[in-house]
Amino acid sequence: MNKNALVSFEGVVKRFGEFVAVQRMDFEIGKGEFLAIMGSSGCGKTTTLRMLAGLEAPSEGVIRLSGKPINDLPTWSRDTPMVWQSLALFPFLNVIENVEFALKMRGVGKAERRRRAEQWLDRMQISEFAGRNISQLSGGQRQRVALARSLVVEPEILLLDEPLSALDAALKVRMQSVLKNLQRETGITFVYVTHSQSEAFSMADRVVIMSRGKIEQIGTPQEIYRTPRTRFVANFLGSSNIFTGNVVETGDGRATLETPMGAFGLVSSEQSTRALMGRTATLTVLDTKTNLSRTMPTGRVNAVPVRMIGEEFIGATATIYLETGDGHEIRVQKSHEELASLPLQIGQELVAYWNEEDGHLVPEE
Amino acid sequence: MRRPLSLYGLTFSLPLLVWQVLFFVFPLVFLVALSFWTVKNFRMQPDFDGVNWATMYGRAVFWQAYGTTFALAAAASVLVSVLAFPCSYAISFKLSDTARSWAVFLMVIPFFTSYLVRVYSWQIFLSDAGIVNVMLGWVGLGPYTLLNTVGATMIGYLTLTFPLVVLLQLFSLVFIDRTLIEAAHNLRCGRLRTVFAVIIPSARVGLVIAALFAFILSFGDFVSPIYLGGGDPTTLSILITDTTKSGQQWPRAAVIALTMIGTLLAVAFAAVRFAYKGRTK
Amino acid sequence: MSDKDTASINRNRAVDVALLVYIVLGYAFVFAPIAASFVFSFNSDRFPSIPLGHFSLEWYQAVAGDPLVWQGLRNTLFVGVTVGVIATALGFGAAYTDYRYRFFGKQVYLALALIPPTIPVVILGLAMLAYLSRISLSGNALSVIIAHVVICAPFAMAIIRLRLSQMDPDLEAAAWNLGASEWAAMRHVIVPFAKPAIFGALFITMAVSFDEFAIAWFVSGLNETLPVKVLGFLQGQVSPRINAIGTFVFVTSMTLVILAQILLTGRGAKDRPASDE
Repeated sequence: MNKNALVSFEGVVKRFGEFVAVQRMDFEIGKGEFLAIMGSSGCGKTTTLRMLAGLEAPSEGVIRLSGKPINDLPTWSRDTPMVWQSLALFPFLNVIENVEFALKMRGVGKAERRRRAEQWLDRMQISEFAGRNISQLSGGQRQRVALARSLVVEPEILLLDEPLSALDAALKVRMQSVLKNLQRETGITFVYVTHSQSEAFSMADRVVIMSRGKIEQIGTPQEIYRTPRTRFVANFLGSSNIFTGNVVETGDGRATLETPMGAFGLVSSEQSTRALMGRTATLTVLDTKTNLSRTMPTGRVNAVPVRMIGEEFIGATATIYLETGDGHEIRVQKSHEELASLPLQIGQELVAYWNEEDGHLVPEE
Repeated sequence: MRRPLSLYGLTFSLPLLVWQVLFFVFPLVFLVALSFWTVKNFRMQPDFDGVNWATMYGRAVFWQAYGTTFALAAAASVLVSVLAFPCSYAISFKLSDTARSWAVFLMVIPFFTSYLVRVYSWQIFLSDAGIVNVMLGWVGLGPYTLLNTVGATMIGYLTLTFPLVVLLQLFSLVFIDRTLIEAAHNLRCGRLRTVFAVIIPSARVGLVIAALFAFILSFGDFVSPIYLGGGDPTTLSILITDTTKSGQQWPRAAVIALTMIGTLLAVAFAAVRFAYKGRTK
Repeated sequence: MSDKDTASINRNRAVDVALLVYIVLGYAFVFAPIAASFVFSFNSDRFPSIPLGHFSLEWYQAVAGDPLVWQGLRNTLFVGVTVGVIATALGFGAAYTDYRYRFFGKQVYLALALIPPTIPVVILGLAMLAYLSRISLSGNALSVIIAHVVICAPFAMAIIRLRLSQMDPDLEAAAWNLGASEWAAMRHVIVPFAKPAIFGALFITMAVSFDEFAIAWFVSGLNETLPVKVLGFLQGQVSPRINAIGTFVFVTSMTLVILAQILLTGRGAKDRPASDE
């Protein structure tokens, strides 16, 4: 085990009756890391977090915190404070009493409790609401109370279960920077469960992508974005064009992917290419690395004739939707300048192409 | 749907209003008037005389009965709340959904059995040669005098109030947001401590209302104090039934009844204030 | 969510078992007198206790042979059915008023509709007795009916109101929109929808009236209902008959309650108006 790891999951499985919520899971969370666990609903991400908090017991495997197994530790004996999606603030306590709660449970004296709670209220910029009832606060203020309540004991780790999902878009973005700064300043390990790619990618140091109880990929946002390691991840991120076919070795020691749209050249030196030789595989190409031109390009590129079917503008970039002859959809994302020279009309015949080294081969599931 | 009351609407709204005004409000108002009437030669006559109030409030026996009734009802409401809580807690948190609905169904049954019959049944258990004493005899204890004691009155009060209190407590406990309990555990609050720090405060309104109902029911009950407690010490309800059924002293009975209503209103008001204390919702 | 699995860390078996035992004790306390009354109604002993005497129907025979009991039963049934019908009608009106209208003083209206059962029966009994005898209505079955409707109508109102709250608020408006007058919408939409609750309320209020003895005792005079008769037995110490009557009344009440339950949950569960017209 890595000695920098604060948490480790070792062969952890979680079953609810017949249903397997989490399949054998092995990963570590480093000290001071901001880790996001991402996936669609029902993928097991919340269950993973709840196991760490001690709200669910793993069916198999060991969870360690600072090297010590914590499977049998009741949740109140762990220091794994959590921020709930519903926030779970106590409605019968006012703001400062909520924040004091955990200190009270630890037997911290009244004066000390108040002092530390006030510090955190101050830090979260909600001092003025100390005596208010929870029902009198806005969504963003409640968020801050929930964070203060969990952080007041200055834990090593903080668990967050989709805490921003109830906020409106603008507030969400503001709270993201609050969270990120908080994490940086305190050095506390954050484990952040979310289904939102933008939340995960904008805050986290590393992202875990889960699907149907399985970890699909762990890596930095850049790694995952540039090289999705499974077809699921590529699809889930929605930022790649995907082609499926057979990996075939050509005479000159090179490899191609044979698809209904034609054969695409692969970087044969890549390990994944060699491992998949002779099998069905998926090629992913980022939509930002896919180019358009009026005529067939030359050089070591893969190209496929397409017809434009739509476009969408978001800020400085445009996404062009295209279709191959057999109905396969291809997207291209570029800045307006890069597209300026092209005749972009619905129905226009064009050629989509990419450099061989921008394609990544992943096994077909 | 904001519409003025029409003939159509009044057809549905009025009957209950008329009935309750005629046969609920008027009798209670009449009770107030009655308390100022006088009785001469065993005949009541309309009057406006404070003599009944002065007579009743001047009697030590009245204040004794008042103190007894209040103390018994308060003790009963505390006792039943404490005894019912583990039961309603266990039903709401430890039973499956199916078992819980059965538990609720079973707790409703007592409401449709005669309270009198149940009180009589307790006599069978508690009398000198009753079931409890026979069983105690098997292990060489007793016999004890169980019937006609304050303890027996309490059992009667519990019989009357326990099912209602369990149901009311249950109703507030099952609606507690489970994540609050998880959050408390997560913040280092242990099992038992969570009950006091989170569950009881969350369910406070329901718990207080349940205790209030227990108080109201016990305060007004005359069956248990007579048939289980033996009529001694005298309670206000016994005083009312005696005063009413023997002789024409209704105006004095009215004084007792009004004093009881005043007390209940004060207690109810205090209880509701306490239940919602610190809440702005 | 996952009670069984969480049990292993955040729950304690011993505590759980102790609590389950406590539940059983609680129900034992509640049902001991009910069960005892049932058992001893078939027991020969004049002063019931354990060990049990032999099986006997003598208390049922004694009760059945008592013309005053029959008189009481007739009174009870007459009062109960009449109370059920009136209280349900009034309760329906009040529930519909609360469902449909907002008006000044609605709080007072609802208080009148719901508070009566919380007033101690001795007080209500005394007030009724004094008032009804003043207007020459006391001492007969009518006075019991009047008093019982006062405390039963709130139950009917609550039951029917609950059912109406399950109704799509647009249903009535849709009927108007399709050309139904208010009366027609009431007859063809509201009443059919609320029908299970109406019958439920009818049975429940009947059952409440069957069991009520205190107010009836105050106002009934010579027209005693069965529970008042029981109160008389309790005073007179001719006791085991109480068990026989109690068992009989219990079976009757439970039949009504179960009927009500079937109506409320069976057909009531369907979230659309019954269309049996």
